[in-house]
Amino acid sequence: MSEENWIEVGSTDSIEEEDLIRFDHQDKTFCVYRLADGFYATDGICTHEAVHLEDGLVMDDEIECPMHQGIFNIKSGEALSPPACEDLKTYPVKVDNDKIFIKID
Amino acid sequence: MKNNIIILGGGQAGIYAAREIRKNDSESNIKILGEENLLPYERPPLSKDFLLDKKNEEDLYFHSSHVLKNENIDFENISINKVDFENKKLVAKNDNVYSYDILLISTGSENKKLSLDNNLNNDIYYLRNLEEAKIIKEIVANKNKNKITIIGGGFIGLEIASSLSQLQKKVTVIEIGNQLMGRIIPKQIADLVQNTHIEQGNEIILNKQIDKITKKNGIYEILLNDNSLIETDFVIAGIGSNPSVKLFENTNLKLDNGIVTNQFCETSIKDVYAAGDVSNFYHPLYERYMRLESYQHAQNHGICAGKNIAGVKTEYTSIPWMWSDQFNLNLQLTGICDDYDEIIERGNEINNGVIYFFLKDKIIRGACGLGIAGKIGRDIRITSKLTEKNTIVDKQILSDQNQKLNKLIQK
Repeated sequence: MSEENWIEVGSTDSIEEEDLIRFDHQDKTFCVYRLADGFYATDGICTHEAVHLEDGLVMDDEIECPMHQGIFNIKSGEALSPPACEDLKTYPVKVDNDKIFIKID
Repeated sequence: MKNNIIILGGGQAGIYAAREIRKNDSESNIKILGEENLLPYERPPLSKDFLLDKKNEEDLYFHSSHVLKNENIDFENISINKVDFENKKLVAKNDNVYSYDILLISTGSENKKLSLDNNLNNDIYYLRNLEEAKIIKEIVANKNKNKITIIGGGFIGLEIASSLSQLQKKVTVIEIGNQLMGRIIPKQIADLVQNTHIEQGNEIILNKQIDKITKKNGIYEILLNDNSLIETDFVIAGIGSNPSVKLFENTNLKLDNGIVTNQFCETSIKDVYAAGDVSNFYHPLYERYMRLESYQHAQNHGICAGKNIAGVKTEYTSIPWMWSDQFNLNLQLTGICDDYDEIIERGNEINNGVIYFFLKDKIIRGACGLGIAGKIGRDIRITSKLTEKNTIVDKQILSDQNQKLNKLIQK
């Protein structure tokens, strides 16, 4: 894994705890979350229908799709509640000098 | 204890109940009896992505036959025409007899039909199941079917109107009431939806009844009660539904706008449960009976029935929630919006989302919002949680779109 794959998302204070920001890179959209124990990243589009998760509710390590209430575990990407049944892809995150990076493959 | 559990009705409530029973009970036999020769499938896309060719049949199934086989859940396509509650038996049209120890009724609801006093009843199309959606899709693919009239301005009619408009059809919607979606959607939101339909080229006619429909040379003429005449190539009606209870009409099962159930999905007959559209259930938070026809309810009520059937006593306290997607708009409703002493508006522009909150005694009883894609989803979801916990809310935060609603949730 090369260093180049780590993409800078923004500063750590750009996300409030138990919240997320949308991050677009090239033609892909990601969601980057701040939970009580750190930062996490997933694909930014719901696996049920093509809806941006950026307007979804983050609560108890879960992201809920704002359109049809499919729920995913943010840390594992697991689809927890219908209508979502396909898992959400997750990405490694690191923090360096108060900046957040995600590793995109 | 090993039971024979039969689930009558192969829709969403039935399949979610079956899987929930299996989660809690590995021994009992579980059999779903479905009238359609299809595994349980999602209905919401039928009026939208299926008509628009963005989803096909394979995309609609909740679970594959593989999942059912793995969980040892039987599915049989059969039509039942007699129920003997006393002897715990169901009799099929082909005289097959199915005995049960526990029965879940999840027969859903069926479309109300127009009653025309000529022989045109078969010329009017309805949309509830996949077969009907396929027929409508095939008909509208014909370029000669350009002018389409939809009778009924509820969710289903408007979703079809939105889809057909996107297929470049000339659509007219006729609604008998003085607003669209009048049964449950507040007028403020209904008017915004109406404006969007009009901007997109659909004609919306309110406050009009149909006096007569005639057919001349393959073209339909719809005469309204103000003597205006609409010419159309194709007529679809979406005028509401009734719970599917015909099978139980001459039995001891207590019926009143569906099958009456308590908060545990139990009916008036021991070992008989009901869930989903067919059930008029007691909601302990609202302290009243309600019958809901929605995706979230079918799923959650099915799951709740499954738990109770498997012996995990569980009250149904889900806050009602439903959505409708029309054009690029997403409408959502949570709770009950018809019992309030105060209305608070959040936002005034569809692009950023508009929500109306309906409060009673400072507690949100319901909310209805409209926005582009998922703009209002988070706030509506938080509202459900506030309602569920009977939280007294700060109205200033509710009305100010710059303030997040998360801070109203008390942990």
